[in-house]
Amino acid sequence: SSSSSSSFDLRTYWTTLITEINQKLDEAIPVKYPEGIYEAMRYSVLAQGAKRAPPVMCVAACELLGGHRRAAFPTACALEMVHAASLIHDDLPCMDDDPVRRGKPSNHTVYGADMAILAGDALFPLGFQHIVSHTPPELVPRATILRVISEIARTVGSTGMAAGQYVDLEGGPFPLSFVQEKKFGAMGECSAVCGGLLGGATEEELESLRRYGRAVGMLYQLVDDVREDDDGNNNNKKKKKKKNSYAGFFGAQRAMEMAEELRANAKKELQVFDKYGGGDAVAPLYSFVDYAAHRDFLLPL
Amino acid sequence: TKEDNRKSSSFDFMSYIITKAESVNKALDSAVPLREPLKIHEAMRYSLLAGGKRVRPVLCIAACELVGGEESLAMPAACAVEMIHTMSLIHDDLPCMDNDDLRRGKPTNHKVFGEDVAVLAGDALLSFAFEHLASATSSEVSPVRVVRAVGELAKAIGTEGLVAGQVVDISSEGLDLNDVGLEHLEFIHLHKTAALLEASAVLGGIVGGGSDDEIERLRKFARCIGLLFQVVDDILDVTKSSQELGKTAGKDLIADKLTYPKIMGLEKSREFAEKLNRDARDQLLGFDSDKVAPLLALANYIANRQN
Repeated sequence: SSSSSSSFDLRTYWTTLITEINQKLDEAIPVKYPEGIYEAMRYSVLAQGAKRAPPVMCVAACELLGGHRRAAFPTACALEMVHAASLIHDDLPCMDDDPVRRGKPSNHTVYGADMAILAGDALFPLGFQHIVSHTPPELVPRATILRVISEIARTVGSTGMAAGQYVDLEGGPFPLSFVQEKKFGAMGECSAVCGGLLGGATEEELESLRRYGRAVGMLYQLVDDVREDDDGNNNNKKKKKKKNSYAGFFGAQRAMEMAEELRANAKKELQVFDKYGGGDAVAPLYSFVDYAAHRDFLLPL
Repeated sequence: TKEDNRKSSSFDFMSYIITKAESVNKALDSAVPLREPLKIHEAMRYSLLAGGKRVRPVLCIAACELVGGEESLAMPAACAVEMIHTMSLIHDDLPCMDNDDLRRGKPTNHKVFGEDVAVLAGDALLSFAFEHLASATSSEVSPVRVVRAVGELAKAIGTEGLVAGQVVDISSEGLDLNDVGLEHLEFIHLHKTAALLEASAVLGGIVGGGSDDEIERLRKFARCIGLLFQVVDDILDVTKSSQELGKTAGKDLIADKLTYPKIMGLEKSREFAEKLNRDARDQLLGFDSDKVAPLLALANYIANRQN
């Protein structure tokens, strides 16, 4: 955490954004007829304890490029909606069969598998609809909105997170890194790239953000794996899952070395942005890397 | 009157829909190539290329051509609506939903690929529809119009569209006829069936360069034929044999499903179907008579089909 020596306070930045994003998500999913489906969607999207890492990274990347926060909020909310949709479907009995998510009963446990399927099916398009209807046209060109939509759709699709989930479940001729990259790196990558697009990044800057976001997403998961492994408290985790965790596969030592590589790579990608705002503008993105690696504060959730 | 309709129009609808369906099939085939991981893409292609009637994409293209656009402008939108339709069928057939083993005479997606893959293939088709619409639509169509099309498609799927219809349908099983009325039944069909047909026509109108007025008339037209489709379906279920239908007749009665004949009687249902066809045709008054032929024929086709 040596390089986040600036006065930037990630904890305040993050918690302020969480409050704003939660409020916008709450407004984005009002309860109407037929009420049951809206309640199921709200249950997962507005779950207590969500860290909102994808939206916060999206907003931070947009601001880094000098974009207005308002330009990024609708996409930030959409990222949470499609992410929630993926998690609802991943937890289903025919998939990971997880009765619990973030310490609470998972969506299908509460609402039934049929409603859980439909809640997911409704959250994907709601995300796209939210971007289209809420992104201020005076701040973001329509062509950029189309690129953001393509980026998100590809991320959750058959070569992105769905691919990661498939390989996680069924295996295949893929290295372990495939699951990690697709399931966990994809969301970070997408969040950073969308923020960059909305802030008007150049193609080169977008590629840096892409590599940065992927590294941070994977780093975050890897450190989670190692910590769980340390706890020895994975009774609830199925063997299938452990097989596809770095710590379970390579052992904690090798996993920590990989984490160090990811951390270094993520920071290296940010160097091209040091010129912005005398280095202050990029401080949030640097501090995410350190947070992913060390978790050196608790978010008041 | 069926004969009259055929004679009065020199337009050959069957060869029109076959030609258009062939271009749609070709476009779908190349839009979703076989890639890694193979099994997900095989599952997507299995259902997507299973040879439906392609009513939605053909409606999309016909709407685009009605307002003066080329077929190529509408093709990505046409493929997108078919991907959404396919995705909703895959998820509807799942054991935790309608639990169907057969679809169009073939084993359903989850029967062949497993439930996990069926869920993922559906999700992948859903998201790919948006990626395809947003990134493959010709640059001749302004981004303003493509963004508008994305919004319309999204609305047709979620809690204001397909999903809403499905939710209300699921929750009405076993309800007493006296407790639910025509409005309830109409809500289900307007969302389960009409919403995506509406989006198909509206998307075609948008990418084809239609005016707001033209797009709204296409919307009303498609809503009418969407309801019409369902009313006719309900009538056929009680009047035709399984052999004639190519599927189990009387299924709605056995499943205790709400249908138009059950709520308003057979005769009134037939009258309602005629009214919907007239209302649909009224929306097309004032358009060029050559260009309007495919849509008029489509409405007649839906009204007069025997299976």
